[in-house]
Amino acid sequence: MKITSIVCLFLLLMGTARSQSTVRGHVRDATNDRPIENVQLHFSVSGKQTISKQDGSFTILLTVPADTLVVTQLNYKTRRIPVRLPFSGSLSITLEPDMSNLEEVIVNTGYQQLPKERATGSFAVVNRSLYNQQVSTDVLSRLDGVANGFIADKKTQQGGVNYTIRGLSTIQGPRQPLIVLDNFPYEGDINNINPNDVESVTLLKDAAAASIWGSRAGNGVIVITTRKSRLNQPLSVEFNANFTFAGKTDLGAIRRIGSPDYIDVERFLYDKGYYASNISSSSRPGLSPVIEILLKKTAGTLSSVQADAQLNALKSIDVRNDFNKYVYQQATRQQYAVTLKGGSNNMAWLLSAGYDKNLTDLAASYTRANLRWESNYRVAKNTMINAGIYLTQSNTGSGRNGYLDISGAGAYKLYPYAQLADNNGNALTIDKLRRSYTDTAGGGRLLDWNYYPLNDYRYNTTSTPAQDVLINLAIQHKLFAGLTADIKYQYEKQQSNQSLLQGLNSYAARDLINRYTQINYVTGDVVNRVPIGAILTNNNSQTESHSIRGQLGFDRSWNEHAVTLLAGAEYRQTDLTGSFFRTYGYDEQLMVAGNVDPTTAYPDFVTGTKSFIGTTNVFSGRYNRFISFFGNGAYTYKGKYTISGSLRKDASNMFGVNTNEKWTPLFSSGITWDVSRESFYRLKALPYLKFRLTYGSSGNADQSKSSVLTIAYSGASPYTQTQYAVIGQYPNPELRWEKVNMLNAGVDFRLKSERLSGTIEYYVKQGRDLFGADQIDYTTGVGTSIIKNAANMTVKGLDIELSSLNTTGKIKWSTTLNFSYNEDKITKLFLSNKQGSAFVGGPGLLSLTRVEGNPVYGIYSYRWAGLDPANGDPMGYLNGQVSKNYTNLTGAATQLSDIVYNGRALPAVFGAIRNTLTYRAFSLSANITYKFNYYFKKESINYSQLFSTGTGHSDYEKRWQQPGDELKTDVISMPYPSNSARDAFYNGSEILVRKGDHIRLQYISLSYEFKKGAGLPLPFQRLQCYMTMNNIGILWRANKDGLDPDYHTATTAVPPPPMSLSLGLRVAF
Amino acid sequence: MKTIKKVYITIYVLALSCLLSCQKQLDTKPDVRLVVPTELKDIQALLDNYVNINNRDIGSLETSADSYYVTDADYLAFAEQIRNMYAWKNENIFTIGTIPSNNDWYLLYEVINIANNCIDGLSKIDRTPKNAKEWDNIMGQALCLRAKSFLSAAFVWSLAYDDNTAATDPGIVLRLSSDFNIPSARASVKQTYEQVIRDFKEAIRLLDVNQLSVSRFSKPAAYGLLARTYLSMRNYPAAGLYADSCLKLKSTLIDYNTFNAALTFPFAKFNAEVLFGQCLTLTAALNMSRAKIDSSFYRSYADNDLRKTLFFRNNNNGSYAFKGSYDESDKPFAGIATDEVYLMRAECYARAGNISAAMTDLNTLLAKRIKTGTFSAITATNPDDALNKVLTERKKELVFRNVRWMDIKRLNKEGANISLKRIISNETIVLPANSRRFALPLPEEIIRLTGMPQNQY
Repeated sequence: MKITSIVCLFLLLMGTARSQSTVRGHVRDATNDRPIENVQLHFSVSGKQTISKQDGSFTILLTVPADTLVVTQLNYKTRRIPVRLPFSGSLSITLEPDMSNLEEVIVNTGYQQLPKERATGSFAVVNRSLYNQQVSTDVLSRLDGVANGFIADKKTQQGGVNYTIRGLSTIQGPRQPLIVLDNFPYEGDINNINPNDVESVTLLKDAAAASIWGSRAGNGVIVITTRKSRLNQPLSVEFNANFTFAGKTDLGAIRRIGSPDYIDVERFLYDKGYYASNISSSSRPGLSPVIEILLKKTAGTLSSVQADAQLNALKSIDVRNDFNKYVYQQATRQQYAVTLKGGSNNMAWLLSAGYDKNLTDLAASYTRANLRWESNYRVAKNTMINAGIYLTQSNTGSGRNGYLDISGAGAYKLYPYAQLADNNGNALTIDKLRRSYTDTAGGGRLLDWNYYPLNDYRYNTTSTPAQDVLINLAIQHKLFAGLTADIKYQYEKQQSNQSLLQGLNSYAARDLINRYTQINYVTGDVVNRVPIGAILTNNNSQTESHSIRGQLGFDRSWNEHAVTLLAGAEYRQTDLTGSFFRTYGYDEQLMVAGNVDPTTAYPDFVTGTKSFIGTTNVFSGRYNRFISFFGNGAYTYKGKYTISGSLRKDASNMFGVNTNEKWTPLFSSGITWDVSRESFYRLKALPYLKFRLTYGSSGNADQSKSSVLTIAYSGASPYTQTQYAVIGQYPNPELRWEKVNMLNAGVDFRLKSERLSGTIEYYVKQGRDLFGADQIDYTTGVGTSIIKNAANMTVKGLDIELSSLNTTGKIKWSTTLNFSYNEDKITKLFLSNKQGSAFVGGPGLLSLTRVEGNPVYGIYSYRWAGLDPANGDPMGYLNGQVSKNYTNLTGAATQLSDIVYNGRALPAVFGAIRNTLTYRAFSLSANITYKFNYYFKKESINYSQLFSTGTGHSDYEKRWQQPGDELKTDVISMPYPSNSARDAFYNGSEILVRKGDHIRLQYISLSYEFKKGAGLPLPFQRLQCYMTMNNIGILWRANKDGLDPDYHTATTAVPPPPMSLSLGLRVAF
Repeated sequence: MKTIKKVYITIYVLALSCLLSCQKQLDTKPDVRLVVPTELKDIQALLDNYVNINNRDIGSLETSADSYYVTDADYLAFAEQIRNMYAWKNENIFTIGTIPSNNDWYLLYEVINIANNCIDGLSKIDRTPKNAKEWDNIMGQALCLRAKSFLSAAFVWSLAYDDNTAATDPGIVLRLSSDFNIPSARASVKQTYEQVIRDFKEAIRLLDVNQLSVSRFSKPAAYGLLARTYLSMRNYPAAGLYADSCLKLKSTLIDYNTFNAALTFPFAKFNAEVLFGQCLTLTAALNMSRAKIDSSFYRSYADNDLRKTLFFRNNNNGSYAFKGSYDESDKPFAGIATDEVYLMRAECYARAGNISAAMTDLNTLLAKRIKTGTFSAITATNPDDALNKVLTERKKELVFRNVRWMDIKRLNKEGANISLKRIISNETIVLPANSRRFALPLPEEIIRLTGMPQNQY
């Protein structure tokens, strides 16, 4: 510091009239005097800039009489050094390390890393401290409610979560954002990645950000950056351990009809003879205890009084109590991770290990062990080699059978008065076949044919061990004059070997063996066509991928110009192979198997119908090949104006497409203007203000579509013993790529002393030729629908991210607000089906509605005219008249124009508010998420389903029963026979539509940190204790039914996850 | 330093050449089991798809016919579409809903499309002297599949063939190409039957006499089906001629004395009588536990008639269920077997006045159906008597064989005046002879999507 001051003073005194001079100098670390490379230096007036070399040296041209040299580096505090003409000698600059790292955010696109301030595109970055506020086993779930513009939607995909960035970009095509791990798309199971290895996550949101990834980036890109080793770092060790408890699944949230009501329904149906064909059926389906009692009553073996007493006893049983008592338990998750790293002058390394052990509330287990090695070597002055290996070993095991897993006989679900165990805890049976039949069938020559749902899981187990190996190798060579050459290679192999063992004691095995048993009652001979023993099913799959990328980079600045260029080519191949085997008569101890004859059909013991013993051995192989060429460049003038562009061409081995049609070009361009660097800029209160504008196009091709007819070989015909095939794909030569153009306009700003900083972005996505399934005349024989380029769509949105420092004193209080507005609209539609029923969805999964002028997912419903006061029938409108013709109300007579559009099915407004309070070593964060402006359909009673499957909604108890009830209830009366159109009308009617708006307390995170040197003689640098509560609950909701609108509200779906509590410890040495 | 440079250059050149050579990787097949059908074995594989072809003929013909009844309780438990089909309603019988497998229009035309894809696919494969026999045999199977499906569709959705009105009666949609962009239009009944006959005749020219399995169409099967076609058109000379051609190739009859009535399903699948093996999809009404045989019909079998015990199961509640399927399952047989061909030839002989030939065929068949030692040959006094005896045996032999609905339609045209009756909840529903309702309504969705004319009632 002193030296520089003296130099400056000297220069000042020496002042001559020379118009420019070259400023040379060195940048060093103030703490250890080591040279610092990659320091950015720029003159604030002239805009000239440069970057320090590996030895810390730099040269920069001074062109104006007096200028300020701004020296910045990510890990150091920025310095401003005034320099005047004339200049001679050399600057020796020292930088103080900056621990807060708040100054600059680095975005990683997977192709290059650049400071957010120099990027034209739209990025959202979740850094490590924010990422670690939550505890999870996987890497993606923590982004929900944290990353700007990111939403986890649980209602459009069965049993899963759809992660989307900025809403939809496609209607029918693949929707998941591309997930990139460091440099390449991750092809393995994303759950392999240990969140403790994550340094940051970058979301690439607009076309300029994502276009470098080509056709797979239409839905945005999530780049996960792992922690890296660095040169010249002392050895550090970090250890993290946490323990999570989660409550049991709330079975009460599954609103099923209760035992007393269900018994009444069974009685009613029994009296109507509904069960007659089941009772006399030759397939001997099990009958519920109530029907058995009623049968005995009819037969006279039970008096009316006895029967009623038995039925009343059953009415007091709720099987969910048994599930809570015997089946569900508290879920636990343990996580341990350790990271070691260090670096010398020429070599840097990082070693991390992680172990996770989870047990669900059904005692299903998941364990994962990760081991990672990452290293950088400076092999020559200009050459770095990076090598890494990431190993994952996981095992998923099955647990108990839950409430939704156990069913009754045939199509029937478990009756609500079932009992899993007797008073002593011994397992009780549920009749899959009639007891009176199984008790005597085979005269003792068969295996026990009873089903014990409480214990069956012990003998019917699935275990899925999986291994994943990820190897990275990269070489970077600095050629000359700012030119670098990079080669990156990645190999990944994931192997999963699922084995399903149905032990001899499992119901599945006993049932199959019994069914293929042949008894000669004369001789007493018993032939087991399926040998007695366990049934083992192996399902092995393997993913192997190679990726190689060659890339030339150019980064140079001279005078007022700065240019970065990037061009390269990439090849990726992914081979997915699989095999599936089934073994009968398996003995786990001896590891021997029995034989079956798959070519002869044997009679079913119960029905006599002959069938083949399935021994389908299936093999599969899928091979994906991609070649891409890409280029990307940016030019900055005076540090104020940046113009950028990118171009990419992709080709793949899509089936039956000519090579020249396989190629598709994608482009993007962008400009930024840093107003705050302009000389006329005078706003002191707003020291940073930058405008950004980008435009680009991306595409989407459905890999499964083909321009020629393809057939799929499916196995051997048991009749001809030859391979048979089914039609795989019908040719669809008219199918074109989906095209999505995206405009992004943003402003970044920062108030003085960071009191408020933020980004406001407006974007428009215009999708053309989007795929859509159109109803087709099925006389053509190709099915009921066909994929067409059917629609155009516009998505308009606003992403706002604001961070404020509310107080900076002893108590630090900061707030981050994420606000997203996203509204999609179909602008043009070429689909022909306009029948109302195609748009009216039920309460379960959302289905595409697609109406011109409306969003892709909308809630539509039938107009409701109330209940018929005479009999509680639902009434609708047909041609303006009140009607009960349900076939017409739900059929072709009711067109789109006759039904009600209630509103969006996916929220238009969503985001989160996160407050963080810091006092001394305490830190408290609370994240509140919100979703507004959408609707959902509540589930209610469906009598057709109630009768045929025994599942019904608890709304049954509120049904219309007598005249006058229509004033108190909207629930329809019970008819006989059931009428599926009547049920469809009611369950699709507007009376069941609810507003989805809600505010949720997603998590609270509390931590306390002990630091070395704070008066405590600690054996470590830092020790942090933390606690996180997740899924805390809904603070406010618009619906009055207590429903969570984020989850399916169906009686057959898993209810929302219970609250979890995590306790953890993080130590750094 | 120089050597290091050389190493770099080598690495870069290698990487570059690797990337360039990757271009040809784009020709890799994305899925090993997905194939563009270019070889004869691919087409044969499509025709060996037993799941869609042999195990899934349509159920609406038997469901509509009079071989059975269901109880009120069972009737009320049916889905509305099955209730409508059973009660001969005029609408809402076939809806696609969520389960296309309940919609016979969908099922039939899916199979027709498979046949068309095979025919179009074959036309792209050169027929050479080397492969001619195989090529012909496969083409014959595809044509047979299409013709049989068209014929079934005509039985369901068109009125019985009548020379006087066939040119104007609405027939079915004759889809002759795999191009699904061609709009669907209804042909006339005349055009429909002409197409079926054309396809069968061409197939007969091409097919092998013996196939690997009766799950494939063979020359005798095609003769038999062509005879059935002519029979349904009441062109008895032609029907008799082709039935005869069939029996010249295959005339085996199985002796019912050798079957065990105690078995759940006494007849073996693909037994020696079967010319083409196929079963139909059970509708809820045809389920063995619901479909009950009329007791007077059951009693019409003599006690020494083995069919009485081999065909029917006593439900022990005064009703009987049918168990005599040649599919060896609860699914009725929907293919064609030699017994039917004997009965067709016998009927045609009788109608032509050839009493002795008619009785010979009938007795050949019955000798295998009556308890050994108790059989005495049937005789007829005049052609009408002969015809009546053949028709009586036809009804008894071909119960649940997917031909009864067609028989009612054609015999009513001959003046048999068979009107059908169902009693549902004490209400009697009658389907009068020659009612237009003998042609079922097309799926309403199809009418709406294509603008084709619906059947008028």
